[in-house]
Amino acid sequence: MHETPYIRLRVLLFSVLRERIGQHELEITLPAPATGDHLLDYLAQQYPVIADYRSVIRLAVNQTYVPTSTELHEKDEIALITPVSGG
Amino acid sequence: MEFRSPTVWLWLLSEALPVAKAVSFLQTPEAGGLALFMGTTRQWTDNRETRSLFYEAYEPMALAEMSHLSDEAQHRWPIRRLCLWHRLGNVPPGEISVLVGVATPHRAEAFEACRFLIDSLKCQVPIWKRETLSDGQTVWVEEGIPEPKPR
Repeated sequence: MHETPYIRLRVLLFSVLRERIGQHELEITLPAPATGDHLLDYLAQQYPVIADYRSVIRLAVNQTYVPTSTELHEKDEIALITPVSGG
Repeated sequence: MEFRSPTVWLWLLSEALPVAKAVSFLQTPEAGGLALFMGTTRQWTDNRETRSLFYEAYEPMALAEMSHLSDEAQHRWPIRRLCLWHRLGNVPPGEISVLVGVATPHRAEAFEACRFLIDSLKCQVPIWKRETLSDGQTVWVEEGIPEPKPR
């Protein structure tokens, strides 16, 4: 029997996502290999606010903006970046 | 969080920005022009009154992005000193929330670099502001995106 490998990911939330979901971070388990798009698809199903913001969320991996097609790994520090408004 | 070298000072802090310290850091005999931009928290936006602003950052990434912007600015202009500071937490109306300072040999490049840094900071650096309005309602400011779909 072939067993599907899974990866566990830690996803940091800020601003409107942190407030509406009520958590600073999420622990997510996805079938491997998983990309940013897989993660966002999954999160959009689980959390309506992520579906609302899906089109404007930028993905950061290890504190750098990356394309959502990037493959994710267990130790990565992943963050969902909604449109920023500093200044 | 803070990064400081002899020529570059990046800082995220939760208290009033010590502007005089920035000015003395930026002053150098190598420069003939020093441009300083400060953003302050605005009380009125059209007919809406803001009682206070709260800034949240993804701090390590914000500092890393500020460092990228500083590197890019130094690559493009002959910068002798550079300050990029942002205040976090609650900021009452009228206080300084962001400070960008650049010292260069001549004024034109100081203005240009300063403008580049503040404009880029506002679209790249992961910092968010939440307004508390006069009626007590709070809103996250998401400039340039439509209202989320009502549910």
